[in-house]
Amino acid sequence: MENILELQGISKTFPKSDFMLDKVSFSLPYGAIMGFVGENGAGKTTTIGCILNTAAKDSGMVKLFGREMLDADTDIREKIGVVYDGDNFPVYWTAKQLAQVMDGLYAEWDNALFQKYLADFHLPAKQKIKHYSRGMTMKLAIAAALAHHPQLLILDEATSGLDPIMRDEMLDVFLDFVQEENHSILISSHITSDLEKVADYITFIHDGKLLMTASKDELLYRYAVMRCKESQFLALDPGDILAYRKRELQTDVLVADGKEAKKKYRDIVIDHVSIEEIMLLLGKGERV
Amino acid sequence: MRGLLKSNYYAVRSNVKVFSAVMVLLGIFVVAVDNEIPSLIIGYMLSVMIGFSFNSIASAGRESAAKWSVYKLTTPVKRADIVKSLFVSQLLWLFVGMVFAGIIVTLSVALHGFPFDKDTDIFLLFVVGSGISLFMGAFFFPLFFWGGEERKEVFLVISLLCGIGVVMGLTTLVNTIFPPHMTSRIIWGGCMILACGILAFVLSYPLTVGIFRRKDY
Repeated sequence: MENILELQGISKTFPKSDFMLDKVSFSLPYGAIMGFVGENGAGKTTTIGCILNTAAKDSGMVKLFGREMLDADTDIREKIGVVYDGDNFPVYWTAKQLAQVMDGLYAEWDNALFQKYLADFHLPAKQKIKHYSRGMTMKLAIAAALAHHPQLLILDEATSGLDPIMRDEMLDVFLDFVQEENHSILISSHITSDLEKVADYITFIHDGKLLMTASKDELLYRYAVMRCKESQFLALDPGDILAYRKRELQTDVLVADGKEAKKKYRDIVIDHVSIEEIMLLLGKGERV
Repeated sequence: MRGLLKSNYYAVRSNVKVFSAVMVLLGIFVVAVDNEIPSLIIGYMLSVMIGFSFNSIASAGRESAAKWSVYKLTTPVKRADIVKSLFVSQLLWLFVGMVFAGIIVTLSVALHGFPFDKDTDIFLLFVVGSGISLFMGAFFFPLFFWGGEERKEVFLVISLLCGIGVVMGLTTLVNTIFPPHMTSRIIWGGCMILACGILAFVLSYPLTVGIFRRKDY
């Protein structure tokens, strides 16, 4: 399967900070949505910065559309739409002025499509962005990101802070976007319920390290969590344990194959696992 | 580039509207008042040229409150283009200031006669106004991209003071090199100050690009 985005061993350190991005590698195929999951400060935005060249990586390679994107490769950036969390555009602009600026930046800017999004999202074109609600500013950013016909959307916490109805509306827009088989989305979020709805793949990052990349269906239907008593936990085969977390009365153990675990450990309660629980177990849990 | 210039224009627009209104009113006052003592006209010419330039560079980074300064890097423009757009914007606003100054001095001369000792004094005023503006921009942009938005105010003040200081220094140098009471001294001196200002402005561009290219956002 061809990849629209490939990261190979991306590392980045920061002066005066202990945090480092440590050899992050993953691939996003054409036609797919990848959820990029991690707690605040896990390295999601830094990774996106390295992908988009807004931050220089120390080592590794990022390939977009099969090529490494340098500052001069403006043709690649024509094909990427970006939405950041919060105010993407100066608040003293109006949507109309935003369109004028974008028209001067993107060769493929489609003003008619942008106007359609403004109408669909009920965004007043002549009102200053500072008078928009948070939901409206996010909708505007998504409209702007889509209106130059990108192939790859990169969304950095784009749905955080939105109410569930608005988030659902935006997720529909994203699903609509990936109907085209050469379109893909990388969406970083810590709202895992959104990703369960739309993502094809989930990549977990924690403390600058990539923990896992897997298909969402595999995570939801194959992975499982075992609720073990102390004695049961001690009897487990360490090779089966991906991560575990001790609670007051039990130890939750993440396993890669729930069915196999059911056969092997008949007296242990085994539950389906949500993306959020996997994130917690991988992030806050311990490894064998 | 067109989009970046528009973005810069929207950043400076609201401030420039107020500044323009004040300069129009002040210009009417300057034209209305007798210009026998030309200090008012000198003050107007310098402040309108430097003022428009100052407004232009002061608006750099105004967008940093939003993520637009990072967002711009994800659009199909090079970092060098972003820097270039700021330099071009400043030149355009300096030109606007020169047009204001030119109109007001022309009207004043038309109504009240020529207020200066020599024709070249007007040339020198344009040179000083544009020289300070160019030096100010040449100092400000590398400092701004090096030190960031949070130190913008102090860099603005430093750049303005450096601009004035350098032009005063060059003027002293010209007065030392050329013999006094020579028209050619004013012309050559003016040309020298202007050439130095343009050179500093031009050299500041690759320096600023170099600094900006090393910055993470």
